[in-house]
Amino acid sequence: MKKNRLVFLLLLTLLGACENDDFCTEETTPRLIIGFYDAENPEEFKTAPLFIWAAQKDTIYQGVNVDSISLPLNTNSRETIYKFSHSQEVDQINFSYDSEDIFVSESCGFKVIFKNLTLESFTNTWIESIDINNALIENEKQVHVKIFH
Amino acid sequence: MSKYFISLCMALLSLTAVAQKEVMAKKDSVHYKKKYGLRLGADLSKLIIGATDKNFSGYELVADYRIQKNLYLAGEIGFVEKKSEEDNYNFTTKGSYITVGFNKNTFKNWLEMDNEIYYGARYGFSAFSQKLNNYTVYQEGTDVDGLKSAYFPPRTMDSNQTYSNLTAHWVSFVLGLKVETLSNLFLGASVNFSKLIGASEPNNFKNLYLPGFNKVYVTNSGVSFNYTLSYRIPLFKK
Repeated sequence: MKKNRLVFLLLLTLLGACENDDFCTEETTPRLIIGFYDAENPEEFKTAPLFIWAAQKDTIYQGVNVDSISLPLNTNSRETIYKFSHSQEVDQINFSYDSEDIFVSESCGFKVIFKNLTLESFTNTWIESIDINNALIENEKQVHVKIFH
Repeated sequence: MSKYFISLCMALLSLTAVAQKEVMAKKDSVHYKKKYGLRLGADLSKLIIGATDKNFSGYELVADYRIQKNLYLAGEIGFVEKKSEEDNYNFTTKGSYITVGFNKNTFKNWLEMDNEIYYGARYGFSAFSQKLNNYTVYQEGTDVDGLKSAYFPPRTMDSNQTYSNLTAHWVSFVLGLKVETLSNLFLGASVNFSKLIGASEPNNFKNLYLPGFNKVYVTNSGVSFNYTLSYRIPLFKK
Protein backbone atom coordinates (compact mmCIF):
# COMPACT_ATOMS: atom_id res chain seq x y z
CA MET A 1 0.00 0.00 0.00
CA LYS A 2 2.80 2.33 0.94
CA LYS A 3 4.54 1.42 -2.30
CA ASN A 4 1.39 2.25 -4.27
CA ARG A 5 1.26 5.62 -2.61
CA LEU A 6 4.85 6.30 -3.58
CA VAL A 7 4.22 5.34 -7.20
CA PHE A 8 1.15 7.53 -7.26
CA LEU A 9 3.09 10.46 -5.88
CA LEU A 10 5.77 9.86 -8.49
CA LEU A 11 3.27 9.86 -11.35
CA LEU A 12 1.59 12.96 -10.02
CA THR A 13 4.84 14.86 -9.85
CA LEU A 14 5.77 13.67 -13.33
CA LEU A 15 2.46 14.95 -14.67
CA GLY A 16 3.06 18.27 -12.98
CA ALA A 17 6.44 18.47 -14.64
CA CYS A 18 4.96 18.20 -18.15
CA GLU A 19 4.22 21.66 -19.37
CA ASN A 20 2.99 22.90 -22.66
CA ASP A 21 5.65 25.40 -23.57
CA ASP A 22 6.30 24.13 -27.09
CA PHE A 23 4.30 26.76 -28.92
CA CYS A 24 5.36 30.31 -29.45
CA THR A 25 2.45 32.42 -28.25
CA GLU A 26 4.31 35.60 -27.31
CA GLU A 27 4.66 38.61 -29.55
CA THR A 28 7.67 38.24 -31.80
CA THR A 29 9.17 40.45 -34.49
CA PRO A 30 6.67 43.28 -35.02
CA ARG A 31 5.54 44.47 -38.41
CA LEU A 32 5.42 48.07 -39.48
CA ILE A 33 1.91 49.44 -39.05
CA ILE A 34 0.90 52.03 -41.61
CA GLY A 35 -2.29 54.05 -41.26
CA PHE A 36 -3.96 55.81 -44.18
CA TYR A 37 -5.42 59.19 -43.34
CA ASP A 38 -7.40 61.83 -45.14
CA ALA A 39 -5.08 64.62 -46.34
CA GLU A 40 -7.81 67.18 -45.85
CA ASN A 41 -8.87 65.90 -42.50
CA PRO A 42 -5.68 64.47 -40.86
CA GLU A 43 -7.52 63.05 -37.84
CA GLU A 44 -9.70 60.75 -39.95
CA PHE A 45 -8.76 57.41 -41.46
CA LYS A 46 -9.31 57.15 -45.20
CA THR A 47 -9.20 53.79 -46.93
CA ALA A 48 -7.13 53.26 -50.06
CA PRO A 49 -7.42 50.52 -52.69
CA LEU A 50 -3.88 49.23 -52.80
CA PHE A 51 -1.40 46.85 -54.32
CA ILE A 52 1.78 46.67 -52.25
CA TRP A 53 5.07 44.93 -52.89
CA ALA A 54 8.65 45.23 -51.79
CA ALA A 55 11.29 46.00 -54.40
CA GLN A 56 12.14 42.82 -56.36
CA LYS A 57 9.44 40.86 -54.55
CA ASP A 58 6.00 39.46 -55.23
CA THR A 59 2.93 41.40 -54.18
CA ILE A 60 2.23 41.18 -50.49
CA TYR A 61 -1.16 42.94 -50.57
CA GLN A 62 -3.30 42.54 -53.63
CA GLY A 63 -6.19 44.93 -54.08
CA VAL A 64 -6.98 45.49 -50.45
CA ASN A 65 -9.09 48.42 -49.38
CA VAL A 66 -8.18 49.18 -45.81
CA ASP A 67 -7.32 52.09 -43.56
CA SER A 68 -4.25 50.44 -42.07
CA ILE A 69 -1.89 47.63 -43.00
CA SER A 70 1.04 45.82 -41.45
CA LEU A 71 4.21 45.24 -43.44
CA PRO A 72 7.16 43.02 -42.50
CA LEU A 73 10.57 44.66 -42.51
CA ASN A 74 13.59 42.84 -43.88
CA THR A 75 15.69 41.68 -40.92
CA ASN A 76 18.68 40.98 -43.19
CA SER A 77 18.96 44.59 -44.19
CA ARG A 78 18.89 48.06 -42.66
CA GLU A 79 16.51 49.19 -45.36
CA THR A 80 13.28 47.90 -46.85
CA ILE A 81 11.78 49.43 -50.00
CA TYR A 82 8.04 49.18 -50.50
CA LYS A 83 5.97 50.26 -53.48
CA PHE A 84 2.38 51.35 -53.02
CA SER A 85 0.16 51.26 -56.06
CA HIS A 86 -3.12 53.21 -56.01
CA SER A 87 -5.14 53.19 -59.25
CA GLN A 88 -2.08 52.59 -61.45
CA GLU A 89 -0.04 55.27 -59.68
CA VAL A 90 3.02 53.90 -57.85
CA ASP A 91 4.71 55.56 -54.92
CA GLN A 92 7.91 54.25 -53.40
CA ILE A 93 8.93 54.59 -49.78
CA ASN A 94 12.34 53.53 -48.46
CA PHE A 95 12.25 52.59 -44.78
CA SER A 96 15.57 52.66 -42.91
CA TYR A 97 16.11 51.43 -39.38
CA ASP A 98 18.48 49.94 -36.84
CA SER A 99 17.60 46.58 -35.42
CA GLU A 100 18.14 44.82 -32.13
CA ASP A 101 17.67 41.12 -31.37
CA ILE A 102 15.85 40.30 -28.16
CA PHE A 103 15.37 36.89 -26.59
CA VAL A 104 11.65 36.28 -26.06
CA SER A 105 11.15 32.79 -24.67
CA GLU A 106 12.16 29.18 -25.04
CA SER A 107 9.61 28.41 -27.75
CA CYS A 108 9.88 31.70 -29.68
CA GLY A 109 13.61 32.25 -29.54
CA PHE A 110 14.72 35.68 -30.70
CA LYS A 111 12.72 38.56 -32.10
CA VAL A 112 13.89 41.76 -33.72
CA ILE A 113 12.79 45.23 -32.77
CA PHE A 114 13.45 48.17 -35.09
CA LYS A 115 14.73 51.50 -33.89
CA ASN A 116 15.35 54.96 -35.30
CA LEU A 117 13.00 54.53 -38.22
CA THR A 118 13.54 57.05 -40.99
CA LEU A 119 11.99 57.16 -44.42
CA GLU A 120 12.54 58.58 -47.81
CA SER A 121 9.76 58.78 -50.34
CA PHE A 122 9.98 59.05 -54.08
CA THR A 123 7.48 59.98 -56.76
CA ASN A 124 4.66 61.31 -54.65
CA THR A 125 1.78 60.73 -56.98
CA TRP A 126 -1.20 59.80 -54.84
CA ILE A 127 0.46 60.29 -51.44
CA GLU A 128 0.27 63.84 -50.16
CA SER A 129 2.58 63.48 -47.18
CA ILE A 130 4.06 60.93 -44.81
CA ASP A 131 4.59 61.25 -41.10
CA ILE A 132 6.50 59.04 -38.66
CA ASN A 133 4.27 58.56 -35.67
CA ASN A 134 6.60 56.24 -33.77
CA ALA A 135 10.23 55.63 -34.76
CA LEU A 136 10.51 52.67 -32.38
CA ILE A 137 8.83 49.53 -33.70
CA GLU A 138 8.62 47.13 -30.79
CA ASN A 139 5.00 46.02 -31.04
CA GLU A 140 1.99 46.18 -33.34
CA LYS A 141 -0.25 48.06 -30.95
CA GLN A 142 -0.15 51.45 -32.65
CA VAL A 143 0.44 53.10 -36.01
CA HIS A 144 4.11 53.76 -36.74
CA VAL A 145 3.74 55.61 -40.02
CA LYS A 146 0.89 57.82 -41.20
CA ILE A 147 0.24 58.26 -44.89
CA PHE A 148 -1.99 61.16 -45.92
CA HIS A 149 -3.74 61.01 -49.24
CA MET B 1 -11.43 -14.67 51.59
CA SER B 2 -10.32 -17.75 49.68
CA LYS B 3 -12.14 -16.32 46.67
CA TYR B 4 -9.90 -13.26 46.80
CA PHE B 5 -6.83 -15.42 47.27
CA ILE B 6 -7.60 -17.43 44.16
CA SER B 7 -8.17 -14.38 42.02
CA LEU B 8 -4.94 -12.85 43.33
CA CYS B 9 -3.10 -16.02 42.38
CA MET B 10 -4.68 -15.91 38.97
CA ALA B 11 -3.57 -12.33 38.50
CA LEU B 12 -0.03 -13.09 39.60
CA LEU B 13 0.09 -16.15 37.36
CA SER B 14 -0.94 -14.14 34.39
CA LEU B 15 1.81 -11.61 35.22
CA THR B 16 4.44 -14.34 35.30
CA ALA B 17 3.09 -15.61 32.03
CA VAL B 18 3.59 -12.15 30.49
CA ALA B 19 7.06 -11.95 31.98
CA GLN B 20 7.90 -15.35 30.61
CA LYS B 21 6.72 -14.34 27.17
CA GLU B 22 9.03 -11.36 27.19
CA VAL B 23 11.99 -13.47 28.18
CA MET B 24 11.13 -15.98 25.47
CA ALA B 25 10.89 -13.27 22.86
CA LYS B 26 14.27 -11.87 23.80
CA LYS B 27 15.86 -15.32 23.56
CA ASP B 28 14.23 -15.95 20.20
CA SER B 29 15.19 -12.76 18.38
CA VAL B 30 18.53 -12.63 16.67
CA HIS B 31 19.76 -9.11 16.05
CA TYR B 32 20.93 -8.91 12.46
CA LYS B 33 23.69 -6.41 12.41
CA LYS B 34 23.71 -3.95 9.55
CA LYS B 35 26.83 -3.02 7.67
CA TYR B 36 27.82 0.60 7.91
CA GLY B 37 30.16 2.20 5.47
CA LEU B 38 30.80 4.56 2.64
CA ARG B 39 29.08 3.70 -0.62
CA LEU B 40 30.59 5.03 -3.84
CA GLY B 41 29.25 4.68 -7.33
CA ALA B 42 28.68 6.09 -10.78
CA ASP B 43 25.66 6.95 -12.87
CA LEU B 44 25.50 4.50 -15.78
CA SER B 45 22.78 6.36 -17.68
CA LYS B 46 24.96 9.41 -18.34
CA LEU B 47 27.71 7.20 -19.72
CA ILE B 48 25.26 5.39 -22.01
CA ILE B 49 23.56 8.58 -23.18
CA GLY B 50 27.00 10.14 -23.74
CA ALA B 51 28.00 7.20 -25.91
CA THR B 52 24.86 7.31 -28.07
CA ASP B 53 23.95 11.01 -28.20
CA LYS B 54 26.50 13.20 -29.93
CA ASN B 55 25.05 16.28 -28.26
CA PHE B 56 25.66 15.03 -24.72
CA SER B 57 28.64 14.11 -22.65
CA GLY B 58 28.77 13.84 -18.89
CA TYR B 59 29.40 11.76 -15.86
CA GLU B 60 28.11 11.63 -12.32
CA LEU B 61 29.64 10.11 -9.21
CA VAL B 62 27.39 9.27 -6.28
CA ALA B 63 28.21 8.64 -2.63
CA ASP B 64 26.34 8.01 0.56
CA TYR B 65 27.21 7.27 4.15
CA ARG B 66 24.96 5.40 6.56
CA ILE B 67 24.45 7.33 9.76
CA GLN B 68 21.47 5.38 11.14
CA LYS B 69 19.84 2.07 10.30
CA ASN B 70 17.60 3.75 7.73
CA LEU B 71 19.23 7.13 7.25
CA TYR B 72 21.99 8.02 4.84
CA LEU B 73 23.90 11.19 4.10
CA ALA B 74 24.00 11.35 0.31
CA GLY B 75 25.42 13.42 -2.48
CA GLU B 76 26.27 13.54 -6.14
CA ILE B 77 28.93 15.32 -8.11
CA GLY B 78 29.01 15.56 -11.86
CA PHE B 79 29.97 17.26 -15.08
CA VAL B 80 27.79 17.84 -18.14
CA GLU B 81 28.30 19.29 -21.59
CA LYS B 82 25.09 19.38 -23.58
CA LYS B 83 24.08 20.98 -26.85
CA SER B 84 20.36 21.78 -26.92
CA GLU B 85 18.78 22.24 -30.34
CA GLU B 86 15.56 24.22 -30.45
CA ASP B 87 13.59 25.07 -33.58
CA ASN B 88 15.31 28.34 -34.33
CA TYR B 89 18.34 28.49 -32.07
CA ASN B 90 20.79 26.20 -30.36
CA PHE B 91 23.08 26.52 -27.39
CA THR B 92 25.65 24.54 -25.44
CA THR B 93 25.60 24.26 -21.67
CA LYS B 94 28.80 23.21 -19.94
CA GLY B 95 29.47 22.93 -16.25
CA SER B 96 29.71 20.92 -13.09
CA TYR B 97 27.41 20.42 -10.15
CA ILE B 98 27.27 19.09 -6.62
CA THR B 99 24.31 18.01 -4.54
CA VAL B 100 24.15 17.10 -0.85
CA GLY B 101 21.33 15.81 1.31
CA PHE B 102 19.91 12.66 2.85
CA ASN B 103 18.05 9.48 1.94
CA LYS B 104 15.52 7.88 4.28
CA ASN B 105 14.88 4.18 3.69
CA THR B 106 11.26 3.02 4.00
CA PHE B 107 11.81 -0.61 2.99
CA LYS B 108 11.57 -3.23 5.76
CA ASN B 109 14.32 -5.74 5.12
CA TRP B 110 14.17 -9.43 6.04
CA LEU B 111 17.10 -10.95 7.85
CA GLU B 112 20.40 -9.57 6.59
CA MET B 113 18.97 -8.05 3.43
CA ASP B 114 19.94 -4.47 2.84
CA ASN B 115 17.76 -3.15 0.06
CA GLU B 116 16.20 0.28 0.00
CA ILE B 117 13.18 2.10 -1.25
CA TYR B 118 13.93 5.60 -0.16
CA TYR B 119 12.95 9.20 -0.34
CA GLY B 120 15.24 12.09 0.29
CA ALA B 121 16.11 15.69 -0.25
CA ARG B 122 19.02 17.50 -1.82
CA TYR B 123 20.48 20.93 -2.10
CA GLY B 124 22.14 21.41 -5.46
CA PHE B 125 24.64 23.90 -6.80
CA SER B 126 26.05 24.30 -10.28
CA ALA B 127 28.69 26.48 -11.91
CA PHE B 128 28.39 26.59 -15.67
CA SER B 129 28.52 28.50 -18.92
CA GLN B 130 25.94 28.89 -21.68
CA LYS B 131 27.10 29.34 -25.25
CA LEU B 132 24.57 30.60 -27.75
CA ASN B 133 25.82 29.04 -30.99
CA ASN B 134 23.45 30.49 -33.55
CA TYR B 135 19.89 31.57 -34.01
CA THR B 136 17.34 32.57 -36.61
CA VAL B 137 15.08 35.43 -35.63
CA TYR B 138 11.38 34.64 -35.36
CA GLN B 139 9.29 36.74 -37.69
CA GLU B 140 5.57 36.65 -38.36
CA GLY B 141 4.81 34.58 -41.43
CA THR B 142 8.05 32.76 -40.83
CA ASP B 143 7.15 29.18 -40.24
CA VAL B 144 10.09 27.09 -39.23
CA ASP B 145 8.66 23.97 -40.87
CA GLY B 146 8.40 25.83 -44.16
CA LEU B 147 4.62 25.56 -44.25
CA LYS B 148 4.24 29.29 -44.70
CA SER B 149 7.05 30.96 -46.51
CA ALA B 150 8.35 34.18 -45.11
CA TYR B 151 8.02 37.34 -47.19
CA PHE B 152 11.61 38.09 -46.26
CA PRO B 153 13.88 35.25 -45.23
CA PRO B 154 14.58 35.74 -41.52
CA ARG B 155 18.08 36.62 -40.49
CA THR B 156 20.35 33.91 -39.08
CA MET B 157 23.13 34.94 -36.74
CA ASP B 158 26.22 32.95 -35.82
CA SER B 159 26.37 34.56 -32.46
CA ASN B 160 28.87 32.27 -30.69
CA GLN B 161 28.27 34.32 -27.58
CA THR B 162 29.47 32.65 -24.40
CA TYR B 163 28.00 33.55 -21.05
CA SER B 164 30.43 32.23 -18.47
CA ASN B 165 30.76 32.26 -14.68
CA LEU B 166 27.08 31.53 -14.17
CA THR B 167 25.78 29.78 -11.08
CA ALA B 168 22.49 28.24 -10.01
CA HIS B 169 21.18 26.54 -6.91
CA TRP B 170 18.10 24.45 -6.24
CA VAL B 171 16.40 21.97 -3.93
CA SER B 172 15.22 18.50 -4.94
CA PHE B 173 12.93 15.79 -3.71
CA VAL B 174 14.35 12.35 -4.43
CA LEU B 175 12.63 8.99 -4.84
CA GLY B 176 14.73 5.91 -5.43
CA LEU B 177 15.61 2.32 -4.79
CA LYS B 178 18.77 0.36 -4.28
CA VAL B 179 19.19 -3.40 -4.50
CA GLU B 180 22.19 -5.30 -3.16
CA THR B 181 22.88 -7.63 -6.07
CA LEU B 182 26.18 -9.02 -4.86
CA SER B 183 27.67 -8.54 -1.44
CA ASN B 184 28.24 -4.78 -1.05
CA LEU B 185 27.48 -4.16 -4.72
CA PHE B 186 24.31 -2.15 -5.36
CA LEU B 187 22.23 -1.30 -8.39
CA GLY B 188 20.10 1.77 -7.94
CA ALA B 189 17.74 4.13 -9.69
CA SER B 190 16.38 7.45 -8.58
CA VAL B 191 14.31 10.35 -9.81
CA ASN B 192 14.87 13.95 -8.72
CA PHE B 193 12.18 16.57 -8.79
CA SER B 194 13.90 19.90 -8.51
CA LYS B 195 12.89 23.47 -7.97
CA LEU B 196 15.24 26.28 -8.80
CA ILE B 197 15.93 28.71 -5.96
CA GLY B 198 18.08 31.14 -7.89
CA ALA B 199 20.38 31.47 -10.87
CA SER B 200 22.44 34.14 -12.57
CA GLU B 201 20.70 34.68 -15.88
CA PRO B 202 22.68 35.43 -19.04
CA ASN B 203 22.04 38.84 -20.53
CA ASN B 204 19.46 38.66 -23.36
CA PHE B 205 19.25 34.87 -23.07
CA LYS B 206 17.90 32.39 -20.55
CA ASN B 207 19.06 29.35 -18.59
CA LEU B 208 17.02 26.69 -20.34
CA TYR B 209 19.22 23.81 -19.27
CA LEU B 210 21.38 23.45 -16.18
CA PRO B 211 23.95 20.79 -15.34
CA GLY B 212 22.48 18.43 -12.71
CA PHE B 213 19.07 20.03 -12.98
CA ASN B 214 18.35 19.32 -16.67
CA LYS B 215 15.74 21.20 -18.66
CA VAL B 216 14.38 24.21 -16.81
CA TYR B 217 10.61 24.33 -17.22
CA VAL B 218 8.57 27.54 -17.17
CA THR B 219 7.78 27.09 -13.47
CA ASN B 220 11.52 26.81 -12.71
CA SER B 221 11.14 23.10 -12.06
CA GLY B 222 13.12 20.20 -13.44
CA VAL B 223 13.28 16.42 -13.48
CA SER B 224 16.39 14.29 -13.57
CA PHE B 225 17.13 10.64 -13.03
CA ASN B 226 20.05 8.27 -12.65
CA TYR B 227 20.85 4.56 -12.74
CA THR B 228 23.74 3.83 -10.50
CA LEU B 229 26.15 1.04 -9.81
CA SER B 230 27.79 1.47 -6.44
CA TYR B 231 30.04 -0.36 -4.03
CA ARG B 232 29.90 -0.16 -0.26
CA ILE B 233 33.18 -0.04 1.56
CA PRO B 234 32.13 -1.73 4.80
CA LEU B 235 33.59 0.01 7.82
CA PHE B 236 31.79 -1.50 10.80
CA LYS B 237 28.66 -3.41 11.83
CA LYS B 238 25.96 -2.29 14.20
